[in-house]
Amino acid sequence: MENEELERKEILDGLLEVLRTVRTIDPARLEGITEETDFLTDMDTPSTELINIAAKVEQKFGVEFEDDDIDDLGSKVKDIINLIIKAKARAQE
Amino acid sequence: MPVPGRRVAIVGMGGAFPDCSGLGEFNEKMFAGKALIREWPKAVEYNKQIRSTVSGYITEAEMGLEAIYPIPGVEYPETYVDTLGRIPDINLATADMGSVWAMIGAKESIEMAGWTKAETESEQTGVVIGSGGGGHQILRLAWHGFFELKKKARLAGSHTVDRTMAYREAANVSCLIRNRGVCESIISACATGLGNIGYAYRLIKFGLQDRAVAGGVEGTALETFIGFDAMMVLSRGFSPAESSRPFDLNRNGFVCSFGAGIVALEEYEMAKARGAHIYAVIDDYFNNSDGDGNMFYPSSDGQRRLWEGLSANVEIKPEVVKVHGTATPVGDIIELLSVVDKLGESGYHVSAPKSQFGHMLGAAGSVELITAVMMLENQKVLPCINSDTLNPELETFQKNPNWKGSLKPVSEYRHLIPKEVIAREINQVVCLNYGFGGTNSAMAISRDI
Repeated sequence: MENEELERKEILDGLLEVLRTVRTIDPARLEGITEETDFLTDMDTPSTELINIAAKVEQKFGVEFEDDDIDDLGSKVKDIINLIIKAKARAQE
Repeated sequence: MPVPGRRVAIVGMGGAFPDCSGLGEFNEKMFAGKALIREWPKAVEYNKQIRSTVSGYITEAEMGLEAIYPIPGVEYPETYVDTLGRIPDINLATADMGSVWAMIGAKESIEMAGWTKAETESEQTGVVIGSGGGGHQILRLAWHGFFELKKKARLAGSHTVDRTMAYREAANVSCLIRNRGVCESIISACATGLGNIGYAYRLIKFGLQDRAVAGGVEGTALETFIGFDAMMVLSRGFSPAESSRPFDLNRNGFVCSFGAGIVALEEYEMAKARGAHIYAVIDDYFNNSDGDGNMFYPSSDGQRRLWEGLSANVEIKPEVVKVHGTATPVGDIIELLSVVDKLGESGYHVSAPKSQFGHMLGAAGSVELITAVMMLENQKVLPCINSDTLNPELETFQKNPNWKGSLKPVSEYRHLIPKEVIAREINQVVCLNYGFGGTNSAMAISRDI
């Protein structure tokens, strides 16, 4: 359980590094970000930017998402973290 | 159809100009007779792959922009940062470099015009801006990633479409200024710049809009440059400042340059009523096609009909003809002799501003219209620098038995083509631009007196 939490925390930190490079996200809105933060409603991120974030995340974490995963992707931070964990697990199979 | 009594004024200008920080420095350098053409380090890097290496280019830093690259060493500009804080990040995210210039030029033009927020955002305000090429710089790397590197399509990012679509400059400007009127582009090769302003003029003249932000753009892109380099039509063998030499006997091609020219147009009586400064009044605009089936070769007949169309409804008696004058071997002289055919052999001057900054392709017509406005404002004729030697012999086409124009060599018209800036009374300027496909455009502008 602790390992899982640690992994999620590390991914969130990495995700924050990615988000800081997205110019359309107000850096002030990254303060206090949690897994429940919603990109669209809480951070005012343009919906077209989500796919850019996903692409950057793929490069940052060295994973590749399936198109179906992207299609079903929710707009909360936890949705991307879950997707990264899923993609990592798939890569290890 | 034109609404009787409705006229169109130019009330604002802006854009991006090679080797200049803005419109003020552009005005200063142009009327000092300086050349804005430099050797382009980016072209030089490609050594023997490229034939010509001079250009009136504009770097990101010169425009106060910083490119953000997603991965070090990759040339793909993911987005730009406006270090001068003019354009919000949300607008920069959807823009290629030319669109950023268009937005900066639009803001400058509207500020100069003095339009209120309500006027700018009105249903009666249109945006008509276009460029000659696509978003080549963005597309090259997006396509390379997909086709050559076999990357997923999404790795090109979600802004490939908005940053490369044909009317991206108009779309970006419209999203920035939030106008509610038309948003369109006219694409007509090197006549694009004047074509967009001409179309915007008609929107106002025909009573469809009261105001318009209009112009042409060509963002710096080596991807664009090499297309013309491949055609062997670019100047080479001269120092950068001497490379663009319209009418000169030794000219051997044009200088491929980049820039943006944006103007604010407004219905004349409305502009006058609110006390706006009228930089110029558009007398009329006319455009046509050669109709001879030739993609590249200029048409004397097409240009003769162009002049007829321009003069059909208004008096055309310019003190200056701002020619297209690219410095290609054939085009310049056919154009000059068409002017002589219409206006005679004296009483006006020919101005070729491409001699100073090269050929800005889709931006050429609009930036050159701005130079025409500056000529009216300064009461000075911009020169044709580097036109050192005019051919004392007849051109080959003049020896053709079917040739109907002047039978004098170009050297007989030296008095029309100043090599230096000259002061004179200027009340009207005619601007001419042509493009591949045989498209011709002409606009006459006058002082508001």
